[in-house]
Amino acid sequence: MQQPTNNTEKEQNTITTPIYSGPLIAATLSPVLGFYTLMIAHHVSRVSKQLDQMVHAYGYWIPGSLGTGPDGSIGSYAGKETLALAVWLFSWIIFHFLWKKQELPVNRWIPLFLGAIGFVTLCLFHPFIDPILMLLLSSG
Amino acid sequence: MTMEPQPHSNLSKILVRTQAYLALLILLLLAGLDFFFPTNYRLQAGLHGISAIASVVTGTYLTHRAYALVRGVHMNYHSLRLWVLASTVLNFLGAVSGNWIYMRYRGEGGPREWILANAPAFHNYMMEFKEFVTLFPFPLMAAVTFILYYYGEAIHVRRDLTQFVGIVILVSWMFLLLGFVTGLVLAKLRFV
Repeated sequence: MQQPTNNTEKEQNTITTPIYSGPLIAATLSPVLGFYTLMIAHHVSRVSKQLDQMVHAYGYWIPGSLGTGPDGSIGSYAGKETLALAVWLFSWIIFHFLWKKQELPVNRWIPLFLGAIGFVTLCLFHPFIDPILMLLLSSG
Repeated sequence: MTMEPQPHSNLSKILVRTQAYLALLILLLLAGLDFFFPTNYRLQAGLHGISAIASVVTGTYLTHRAYALVRGVHMNYHSLRLWVLASTVLNFLGAVSGNWIYMRYRGEGGPREWILANAPAFHNYMMEFKEFVTLFPFPLMAAVTFILYYYGEAIHVRRDLTQFVGIVILVSWMFLLLGFVTGLVLAKLRFV
């Protein structure tokens, strides 16, 4: 009887090893969470000077986050980027290891992903979000 | 003696490639000439413009591959992985150079000051939108790159996964185009 070659074994492994959707969902959910962090940090920084400085402080490590004169600086945008980056990368690591061997429904994730991206984009458009924020702030 | 057309002529291939390279070169001049503009910020402007154009071109090419992924047809994943990696790197350069030029935009006597004094809606509605959505393509394409390297060739057996990767590429392209157009409008309004 002929022994199977290494190649045949390899092919069989490829076919029989299950492919889980968990890592794909982890990789695409985490940027969405980062985008929401960016949006929330942006609107928080618009509420008051103190909150703007608090958000700004997270971004002091980014070159050009502080400065005046013609060369300017990116200001609290640095803090917003830092918070978004942190949420993106940490949530990715956590979800990846949680769902590494999990089968999650990709077909249900498609409308959620598209809806979440569409909504965060709208929330970054001031003519859409400002009336809502004004209402929330006045009722709060 | 009559000349028979050669069935395997390379002429069309040569023409297509020449057209593509010439188009890319001419398009890059749109921002490449910024390096010669009379401003102290020509380097930032040129780098941001070139990385933005290269990102849009790469992203647009990838939308063609995205439709093949959505349809689930067989494709060369090795080449696709390299293209999405290149796209991720370009998107990252676009974001970093965007940060660099944004400093001058907000600086004393910079475009923001002028726009707020003369056409405030372009800052309040357009720039305040553009500066955030242009950050979206980098993490989206980083995710696509990770997925294609992580699953390898085996991904082709899961049509739902390839479909989703195609959708993410298309979403990323949408934000690239939004960022590119708004960036051009703002640069036309008031250059750094």
